[in-house]
Amino acid sequence: MKKIRLRLIQFFLLAAAVVFLTPIALIFLTSLKPDSEIIHFSGIFPRQWTLDNFREIFDTPEEIPIFRWLLNSVFISSAVTFLILLVNSMAAYALARLELPGRRGLFVVIIATLMIPGQILMIPVYLIINKLGLLNTPWALIIPAGAGAFGVFLLHQFFLGIPRNLEDAAIVDGCSIFGVYRHIVLPLSKPALSTLGIFTFLGSWNDFLSPLIFLDSVDKFTLPVGVALFQTSYAAEYGLTLAACVVCTAPALLAFVFFQRHIIKGIALTGLKE
Amino acid sequence: MTRARYSNIFYGYLFLLPYLVLFCAFILLPLIYGLGLSLFQWEVLSNAPPRFIGLGNYREALGETYFWMALGATLRFVAMIVPSVVCGALLIALALNALPEKSGGFFKAAIFAPTIISISVAGILWRWFFSAEFGLFNAWLAPLGVKVPWITENRWAMKSVVLMTVWWTLGGPMVVLLAGLKQIPEQYYEAASIDGAGAIRRFFHITLPLLKPVLLFVIVMNIIGSFQVFGQTFMITRGGPELSTRVLVQYIYETAFASYRLGYGSAMSWLLFIVIAVFSILQFRLVRERE
Repeated sequence: MKKIRLRLIQFFLLAAAVVFLTPIALIFLTSLKPDSEIIHFSGIFPRQWTLDNFREIFDTPEEIPIFRWLLNSVFISSAVTFLILLVNSMAAYALARLELPGRRGLFVVIIATLMIPGQILMIPVYLIINKLGLLNTPWALIIPAGAGAFGVFLLHQFFLGIPRNLEDAAIVDGCSIFGVYRHIVLPLSKPALSTLGIFTFLGSWNDFLSPLIFLDSVDKFTLPVGVALFQTSYAAEYGLTLAACVVCTAPALLAFVFFQRHIIKGIALTGLKE
Repeated sequence: MTRARYSNIFYGYLFLLPYLVLFCAFILLPLIYGLGLSLFQWEVLSNAPPRFIGLGNYREALGETYFWMALGATLRFVAMIVPSVVCGALLIALALNALPEKSGGFFKAAIFAPTIISISVAGILWRWFFSAEFGLFNAWLAPLGVKVPWITENRWAMKSVVLMTVWWTLGGPMVVLLAGLKQIPEQYYEAASIDGAGAIRRFFHITLPLLKPVLLFVIVMNIIGSFQVFGQTFMITRGGPELSTRVLVQYIYETAFASYRLGYGSAMSWLLFIVIAVFSILQFRLVRERE
């Protein structure tokens, strides 16, 4: 009886896994089909496998600068991740460890902004970016990203859990505050930093609304906005569009496969404060 | 002591400085700036300088059909998506929790995977699935002689967006709920089994009460997130047909960045913020209760 119940549950989960994975598989499989097979759907797998769609999107850089978009995406997501890890960890360290007058109040103000939905800042941030002359540059997406409070919160909580005597010992031995941060706190925080780093990278890679607002020339686009452009300009050419989708999805999916445990654990942690 | 202390304070603020500059420039300032903007009539296309009109923008929004339509579409989305995602996530989390220890990693990863796909890709994909003529779903339904107007008819469009959103976002709540289930001590279930409680009674008398804080957290987070829906409707239905799926964020986006009515757009985003704030406060209380 118990065995049957377990089998039923496994069957249910397998069915759910298939339902959730099929659309992702279809992005890849469909990009390998000729257009005629896409319009007249004839099964999930291509009858005639072809790389023509990829050849076409990579061969016409003047019309479809997909390589450019890929570079833009890599640059922006890496820079955002670097900026957030650096700036947020410094702030979180100061707030968690250093005896600064007013740090409690400051922490509360910063954390309170976690509740503010991004859309409410969209118009004023656009105007500020415009004033700074950064519209339509990658910096419009990179610099404001460093201001988010999520990373400060996550790292602050993690730093509080690091035993303090290590740091005290280092200070007694004459280590500077920067030395403690660089050589003790950061190395001990690798799990938190990598979780934050992966979240940030994926979030930035997939971000859609910000590049839509801040970028307007085609060669400045990131992959998600570039791919969306496809839908409007090449509406009937699903094959090309899906090949572009593969270029946008594959790196994120690869990162997910590698860092799956980190990502899933991180999500679980944000929902369950221990 | 004092000299070292002062230099510590100095370095401490030095550590904070880069973040604080960004925080002030891109969160605090925009917050105040946006509130200010919402009190001005500022229409970039008309070339007229911004003019102070007090609560005029808010009055306009509350008296305008399009605003209420957008709010209505948003509410319809929230009302459908939250129960679907939460119940679905709970069901799958319960199933995963019933598996032997350390198994089920593949299922968990598979169901979580869609959440790491960009909305532009997911939108393109599902727009194709839903397409009336070339769409995948209708191709699958064709042998049954059924043709569903997934995104071409009002009564279907929002439901289709919800269907897609369940696929795209279920993973997060599932993972959180599963972690919550894992925290319930095994002995409770054993004791209940010995007392003769069946699976259903165990669920309602042990699982649900003990999971309640996590469950409430997931529900509130989901409500807050769902009010901010944009990408799905923007990519899949473009707000149509007949604006039936044009949600608030899309309307704000169009008002600000297509019509360039910046003051009016800001006012509407503050109205959205008020709605979300109610739920945020609720969530804050829930978190406090748990501590």
